[in-house]
Amino acid sequence: MIKEKTANLQNKLINFIIIALFAIGTFFVIGGVFIGWSLIVIALIFWTYRFLKQEDMKLKNFLNIIYLKIKFPAFGLLLSFLLGGIIMYISGYNPIRSYGAMIYGGLIKNWHITILNSIPLIFTGLSIALAFKGGLFNIGAEGQYYIGAMVATWIGLRVNISPFIIIPVIFIAGFMGGALFNVIPAILKIKKGAHEVVTTMMLAYIAAILSSLFIKFNGGNPVTSKHAYITDTIFESAWLTKFDSIIPSANYRLHIGILLAIGLAILVQFFLYRTRLGFLIRVVGESPQTAKTQGISVPKIIVLTLCLAGGIAALAGVTQVLGLDHKMFENLNAGYGWNGIAVALLANTSPIGVIFTALLWGALDAGGQYMARTVQTPTSIVEIIKGLVLFLLLAKYLFTYLKKRRKV
Amino acid sequence: MNFIGSIINTEFFIAAVRLSVPIILAAVAATICEKAGIINIAMEGMMLIGAFFAAWGAWLTGNPWIGLMFGIFAGTAMGLFHGWATIDLHMNHVVSGAVINILGFGITRYLMVLVFGHPGNSEQIPLSLAAFRFKIPLLNKIPFIGDILFNQTPIVYLTIVLLFVIQWVLKRSAFGLHLHAAGEHPEVLATLGISVKKIRYIAVGFSGTLCGIAGAFLSIENGLSFSEGMTSGRGFIALGANTAGGWSIIGSVIASLFFGAVDALALRIQVLNIFDIYSELFLIFPYVAALIAVGGLVFKSNPPKALGEDYQSE
Amino acid sequence: MIFFIEFEIYIHRWFNKIIKKTVEGGIMDKEIILKTVGISKSFGSVKANKNINFFLKKGEILSILGENGAGKSTLMNILYGLHKPDEGEIFINDKKVEFNSSKDSIENGLGMVHQHFKLVENLSVTQNIILGQEPIKHFAIDYKKSTAKVKDLSKKYKLEINPNSLIKDLPIGIQQRVEILKVLYRNANILILDEPTAVLTPQEVMSFFKVVENLRDNGVSVIIITHKLKEIQYLSDRVYILRKGEITDVFNTSDVSAQQLASSMVGRNVVLTSEYKKATPLDFDILKINNIKVKNNQNLLAINNLSLNVKPGEIVGIAGVEGNGQSELAHAIMGLTNVFEGEIIHKDEDITSISVKKRIARGMGYVPDDRQKAGLIMPFPITENILVGNHYNPSYVSKGIIQKEFLINKSEALIKDFCIKSDNCLSQINELSGGNQQKVILAREFDRDPNFLLVSQPTRGLDVGAIEYIHSCLVEMKNKKVGILLISMELDEILSLADRILVMFDGQIIKEFTHEEATDKKIGYYMTGGAKND
Repeated sequence: MIKEKTANLQNKLINFIIIALFAIGTFFVIGGVFIGWSLIVIALIFWTYRFLKQEDMKLKNFLNIIYLKIKFPAFGLLLSFLLGGIIMYISGYNPIRSYGAMIYGGLIKNWHITILNSIPLIFTGLSIALAFKGGLFNIGAEGQYYIGAMVATWIGLRVNISPFIIIPVIFIAGFMGGALFNVIPAILKIKKGAHEVVTTMMLAYIAAILSSLFIKFNGGNPVTSKHAYITDTIFESAWLTKFDSIIPSANYRLHIGILLAIGLAILVQFFLYRTRLGFLIRVVGESPQTAKTQGISVPKIIVLTLCLAGGIAALAGVTQVLGLDHKMFENLNAGYGWNGIAVALLANTSPIGVIFTALLWGALDAGGQYMARTVQTPTSIVEIIKGLVLFLLLAKYLFTYLKKRRKV
Repeated sequence: MNFIGSIINTEFFIAAVRLSVPIILAAVAATICEKAGIINIAMEGMMLIGAFFAAWGAWLTGNPWIGLMFGIFAGTAMGLFHGWATIDLHMNHVVSGAVINILGFGITRYLMVLVFGHPGNSEQIPLSLAAFRFKIPLLNKIPFIGDILFNQTPIVYLTIVLLFVIQWVLKRSAFGLHLHAAGEHPEVLATLGISVKKIRYIAVGFSGTLCGIAGAFLSIENGLSFSEGMTSGRGFIALGANTAGGWSIIGSVIASLFFGAVDALALRIQVLNIFDIYSELFLIFPYVAALIAVGGLVFKSNPPKALGEDYQSE
Repeated sequence: MIFFIEFEIYIHRWFNKIIKKTVEGGIMDKEIILKTVGISKSFGSVKANKNINFFLKKGEILSILGENGAGKSTLMNILYGLHKPDEGEIFINDKKVEFNSSKDSIENGLGMVHQHFKLVENLSVTQNIILGQEPIKHFAIDYKKSTAKVKDLSKKYKLEINPNSLIKDLPIGIQQRVEILKVLYRNANILILDEPTAVLTPQEVMSFFKVVENLRDNGVSVIIITHKLKEIQYLSDRVYILRKGEITDVFNTSDVSAQQLASSMVGRNVVLTSEYKKATPLDFDILKINNIKVKNNQNLLAINNLSLNVKPGEIVGIAGVEGNGQSELAHAIMGLTNVFEGEIIHKDEDITSISVKKRIARGMGYVPDDRQKAGLIMPFPITENILVGNHYNPSYVSKGIIQKEFLINKSEALIKDFCIKSDNCLSQINELSGGNQQKVILAREFDRDPNFLLVSQPTRGLDVGAIEYIHSCLVEMKNKKVGILLISMELDEILSLADRILVMFDGQIIKEFTHEEATDKKIGYYMTGGAKND
């Protein structure tokens, strides 16, 4: 009896250590202290050892399973880089120097830019992935981004109280704004069958115009302001904590928004797979007939899904304003919507996967910029590589999808 | 009232028609494609690619007509690509459309830098199609309508001609009948030995062609260069026009004209700076109108029965 | 009305007999225009057609009689070029032919009118008829010529039709005429009709009979696929019986009685090993349906004044051929379709308009006939398929969080109890065999301790072992005093399980039998529309 209890306690302790190592290691790595990788590796080794023991598996089999899972995506990625290299070569640029600069810039020198780039993409990617799991296409995520940014800026410019109050309040308000913004498409869908692709897209353009007007009214009036088309700066009490307050050597712009994003991804994963509501969303998305037969109200779930997705996408704007810019810019062509779609599709709509594909996208952008500065290869090759990655990896899903259909 | 008269005058209607042209082309593209049973949300991306290639061709050769050919070719290629993804690879129509939109932005940006050396705006083309504006004798003497319709530039005329041809083909030719059946009840065609696949490829390819022309209009007829994102959501408004028009050519045209007019109105309000800083707000008009139209708040939504359903031939 | 038809048939057959005697030879000498030799076709492991040999004589009306799943549609689709046979040959006028698509069949003079009409609803009659063979003038469809041609055909074959009506505005009986005209337009001389009267009203049936006779008089040979004896007796010269993919009998219609046909169709019964245990139902109704009317998607009455009741501890079986309102009945009982008139009463409370969720909460369980689309979520693991429907049960979900351990334990227990073959409870449902998939549904529904169970086509497509197992489960439920309503197209199943048997035909219950009274012959007779006033 006592032996059992101590074994149980031991187990819990080991769990705790592994998670702690992971967390601290990740924290350091994000902050640019790359020794953090060693902590992560140690945690991985611990975890793998325990996993193998529990499942009574041999290392060989385990590696084989991983290999099978990674085979296709890795192959797709390599192929796209190869093709990208060929295109570079044909266009007269040196692929080896270009890739070298990209990898160094994206993964080492400007790692903080990679992180910063990925933050809004994780949010919009999560939004689209969640909607997709519910069988819906929240293509207008960019509009929800603007709504979140506007809410954050509005409050941040007017309310100056303790960060412990104002920051959560802004997050909640931004989320609600995004959620409410998607109510119209949701209701139009369940009542009139209107396709959410068009409705969310229209609202996205409306949001963009509204935000332009908003900026003019909040300090960006081209006639009267010193900083045209940019709002005034929000109160410092609303700024998200910077990493350099914890890790002094971290880049001065890096903020804890990345932790919020990763946290949200874990939350969404948990929500979808461990809660009733998330389960219902997935059932409706996969098999609406079965949902109906088992008494689930499909319209209610659709509205819920779209509103949740809207709220999450809005958080992208909130974090961008509170964490990075501390004001609102008119960045109309940032493409958070379309890049969010790419990130979600590449991750096969898995919330945890979105973290990694967003980082990949962020790295490609950061690396691309560094490459352009140092080797003078234009950044637009990154767009091509992104296109290739998207196409090749989607084609892989098509391949397995086709194989399944032949079986049936 | 003089105030209204200064906003809504002949200039306004001319602008309305001009602004409608790309929407009309994209909406009709959607109509044809969806009538055959394939959902198309990629008009935006196809138009953008058409716009770029048209500008490139016109800039490269100095001849805007070659530019137009480039644009048509590019648009058709994208259309066929969408067809391949949906018909042969059985990809989800909406996902394929989204991917094409993404590819549209990506490819145009890359080629921009490759060809012109920098993102943003392309070089100005030496000669625009607008220079080929001509009046149709006699018809242009008709008061009011004469100025609006018969004193126009080439693609506008091309659009008018295409509309008549397309409407004729859909309503009176055998192919038009088959296309209608392909979107309503493709099995019927199978039982009569007609290839659904062929019909759908033609429909989706041609919708790409129309989007290519629409894009060309934006860059080399209505303007003098290509700029990133110049389609500004027109592809999606066109989708709304098609839905509002009930998947018919005439309906799409009327809805597109309406959106074009709304667009023109918003622009005039902005240009005339009537409401000062608030003038910008009116730019949301076309999008709101599309929202209302698609929401079926005005017309009833009646898509082709087999739209979006994957069709497997044995 | 039915009376009248009976009388007509009698006179008609007598008349035919006289004609035959005076025109000695008659049919006998006519040439064979269509023949099949050794046609076989499998879909996966299912052998839909096994070594089919039959022939059709010129000017003949031939019937093919068989139950659901007997292989009729497959055979006709092969003739019409929609499937390629695995083995066997087809001969037209003694010339071997191969059909690669419907186009080939059409060119060889074959035409088919499907059970589910292949018409484009928002096009006109003319447009549907000429589709694919449009007369062209100056590159456009010559509608003048088309309309004229349609009118000519209509007159010649006495098929009254308005060429300009839209299909969706026409009653089904007239739509069928369009389908027939479509075939005749293409110069078919062999017409295949698949369950032609399945969707017709009794009056439309009479018109239809006249139409077919007209066709025959104009030189068209006809094959009718049907399960309705009236059509066979009234119209056809010969009947082939198709059972479980094989031709088992052939008769001259005038030489055989309705009873013989019905028996032949259902075959000599091999009663399954599940022993029938007499029921001791409790003395009240767990479910009572009073005179309900339900409309289908085409806004026609799919259920027309139906009443039934089920007591706890009995299995009530609904026998009938598919398409007589069974699925609408199931949907109405579970709340997936609205009831147009009448009431459904569960445990003495009127549940006619309450939600699906509430019905499930009251203890009503449902095993749907489309297990993959409406019963399961195919790519999800077994555990989540058990969870769905139980998601408000506090043991499964507490404070909104799914209780994983409970769910896994429960799933594993159910897997064990129901002998579900799977790697573990987290395997995806689409990796299981059909029988095991069905077991998951049963496990889920049974575990909720229902007081009423609606089971629709529970053993469709399953192997003998699975069938046996599922039947034993149902009997166990019956012994636990659950009221079970079993809808099935398999007569064997109904006969071995049901305490009371209701025969459903044309949206109504036309006959009730107790287990002791029931024989396959009697039920088969009513399944095919036998005298409603018997």
